[in-house]
Amino acid sequence: MENKINRITAAVLSAAVIAALVLTTVRAAGGKAADELDAVSFPRPSLSSVVNGEFGRDLGEYFAEHFAGRDMWLGMKAHLEAGVGESIVNGIYISDQRLVDTHTSLRRVELTNADPVNSFASEYDGAVYFVAVPTSAGVYGSTLPEHLANNHEKQQIDRFYEELGSRVRKIDAYNILKPISDNYIYCRSDSKWTSYGAYCVYKTVIQKLVFQPIAYDKYSIRHVFSDYRGDLYDRTRYMKCPDDVLDIYDYSSGAEVLSCLKYDNDGSYHAASVYDLEAAGNGDKYDLYLGKDAPLMKIRTSVSNSRKLLVIKDSFADCFIPFLLQHYSEIAIVSPEYMEGRLKDHIDPDKYEQTLFLFGIDSLSQKGILDLLY
Amino acid sequence: MIYSSLLFIYGFLPVCLLIYRLIPDKHRELALLLMSIVFCAIGGLGYLAVVMLLAALNFAAGIMIDRLRQHSNYSSIPLIFGVVGDLLAMVMFRSGDFTLLTGALGFTDELYPIGIAFMVLSGIGYLADIFYGRIRAESNMVRFGLFMFMFPRIVMGPLLRYGAFRKIMNNRHFSINETGIGFTIFIKGLAKKVIAADSLYMMYSAVRSVDPADLSAVDAWLGSIAYMLCLYFTLSGYSDMGCGLGYCFGLKLPQSFNYPLFTNKVRYFAAKWHIQVVHWFRKYVTRPLSSRTERKWLKKLVFIAAWGAVGCWYTFSISGAVWGILIGSFIMAEGMIHRIRMLNATGVTITFAALALFSPFLSCENIRDSFSWLSAMLGGNKLLADSLTLYLLRYYLVILLISMYASTDLFRNMLMRSGRNRLREAVTAASPVIMIVILAVCTALIAYSGHSDMILMRL
Repeated sequence: MENKINRITAAVLSAAVIAALVLTTVRAAGGKAADELDAVSFPRPSLSSVVNGEFGRDLGEYFAEHFAGRDMWLGMKAHLEAGVGESIVNGIYISDQRLVDTHTSLRRVELTNADPVNSFASEYDGAVYFVAVPTSAGVYGSTLPEHLANNHEKQQIDRFYEELGSRVRKIDAYNILKPISDNYIYCRSDSKWTSYGAYCVYKTVIQKLVFQPIAYDKYSIRHVFSDYRGDLYDRTRYMKCPDDVLDIYDYSSGAEVLSCLKYDNDGSYHAASVYDLEAAGNGDKYDLYLGKDAPLMKIRTSVSNSRKLLVIKDSFADCFIPFLLQHYSEIAIVSPEYMEGRLKDHIDPDKYEQTLFLFGIDSLSQKGILDLLY
Repeated sequence: MIYSSLLFIYGFLPVCLLIYRLIPDKHRELALLLMSIVFCAIGGLGYLAVVMLLAALNFAAGIMIDRLRQHSNYSSIPLIFGVVGDLLAMVMFRSGDFTLLTGALGFTDELYPIGIAFMVLSGIGYLADIFYGRIRAESNMVRFGLFMFMFPRIVMGPLLRYGAFRKIMNNRHFSINETGIGFTIFIKGLAKKVIAADSLYMMYSAVRSVDPADLSAVDAWLGSIAYMLCLYFTLSGYSDMGCGLGYCFGLKLPQSFNYPLFTNKVRYFAAKWHIQVVHWFRKYVTRPLSSRTERKWLKKLVFIAAWGAVGCWYTFSISGAVWGILIGSFIMAEGMIHRIRMLNATGVTITFAALALFSPFLSCENIRDSFSWLSAMLGGNKLLADSLTLYLLRYYLVILLISMYASTDLFRNMLMRSGRNRLREAVTAASPVIMIVILAVCTALIAYSGHSDMILMRL
């Protein structure tokens, strides 16, 4: 008798818990679609995806993404696993100093991404520069346990640079950053660098682009956010990880931004700003730098040298671009991730005498990311 | 779709249970079949096609054997046809030599038709049973479809003989009481998979990332132990989940593991490990072969070879067969020295050590790695411990000890022995709450990716 009551309680309780979670999930998924554009959208079935089961997997992913209390569950997981002594949560090495992605050793840079760059450089009149930036796992890989530690990203960058032709000038960001890794050059909760890390690379890059860098002490530095938590935190929700600081480097005696325009894929444009406090306040704080992603952005400054620079970049460049503004009268910024069609449909590269590619190593492992250059 | 995913637990399962509850009892078998078809279709139409073809092949072969058996002696023709078809399907999907063919069906290296190894055994067993006249062929397609790919069984659920399955179906009893038992067993299986097996897999893969030729002895042992436990928790987790799901729908499926790892003889391990699978090989391989000979040594050879087949079934490789042969030979050796008396603890230690020593043959992809792992365990690399050892002990010792305890029957026995005392009452009263807590923990652990699809072995 006692057992029977127990079983019925078990059935009712678990049914109730499951039903409660299902209902909140369904409600949340219904309501969320409108305000969160970034969220994974409901997968569209196609013949091949239904046959090979990809649709089912996407469906599972969509369900997980919209699952009731997802962030709470993730935090619970991180603390449970850390509690029993595990050091790797969702593929991320957790410590109280920083979070380090361990999956990067599985990632391979797509060497074929060098081909579009080479063909771009051969048709282009000006000078082409390439900066491949390691992620925090590349620089802080040595803090990982030995069997995970690697200087893999260094080798990956070297391999990729070998594929780039002689017309492309390569800049070795890894060896700039690695020796100063005791400084705050990478976010602790994000795989990206900090403004200071970007500044250190900027000093070398701008000399290659034939300018004198602005000295560090000329800047006045504002800590805009001191509670930023980045992508690695989002993947683990590990509360003990320290917050990050997002800085703005002001150079008051320098040139000013005259106009900053963002272009959509259809050619329409609207005014934007280099530091977008509004976008940062509403969603991802990292949007502070250059605001929400756009395929093309053009910034004119009061620099009177009539020099123009084309930057082709991923999100690593967001906090890097502001340093360049003191040297060019116009900078065009292209994000291949968001641009549809070919580059030449949107902009004429030959109007710019220099082109700078700046990519994090993780973007370079995506196949075809630079195919728009053809 | 796999049982240990959010979509299954919080999407597919509640919807199915609700539908099952609402429709009248006489349509429930058909409903369960349709749900199973949807389950497979979510995994891909290619998967569904393979599953349906396999079911159709065995269904047709079964009927033909039955007909021919009564009127002529040609019943072995459809038997051979069916068995060869089944085996071909298994070779095609498990050997990895037919990637062109399987690729055309939408199966890639990452995508594997889970459960095919079980379906093939089910099919062959069914045909053999008809051939020997133990059962009549099933003429009800719904029933037979359920036997082959009912969704509470398809992902490594308990293997059944058709006779046993028919009894379970005839005694179908859907009630809230059964559902309660079902949820309890399901959550137990989920915890085995998500909490224990996944953590142990992390530990094992830390060791696996080192070349076996550089492995220190302690690491090799820790890796082997982690693998053995991980395998146990993965397989028994899935079979518990399957069994629990069966109960949820009123089907009393049997459990497959009975705390096999910590026993005082490898023979007992063999009797408690994947019971239905080992039983299948005994019934359809060992017995028919050894009944043809009177010679003792030949019988022994058949016994060992059948264990080789069990091992080969697990990994579909030579090294798996070596594992089976080792287990079989060890059991033989135990039989010869049974007069030596030893303490229980010594027996348990020897058995567990033997299992750990043999496990590289299951875990490594090729036999050369297996041997170099084994030599590392025996100190062949002249390295006792290194920094990895410290890492493993620091981060995984708690998990290892807890899961070793959980894989023994100590807790169950403690409850049994305690009789009607307070401890037992307290545990019983709290069990529904404990269950919900475990469900919450499992949900948290799979919340990031939405599933935990490490299956360790492609079965």
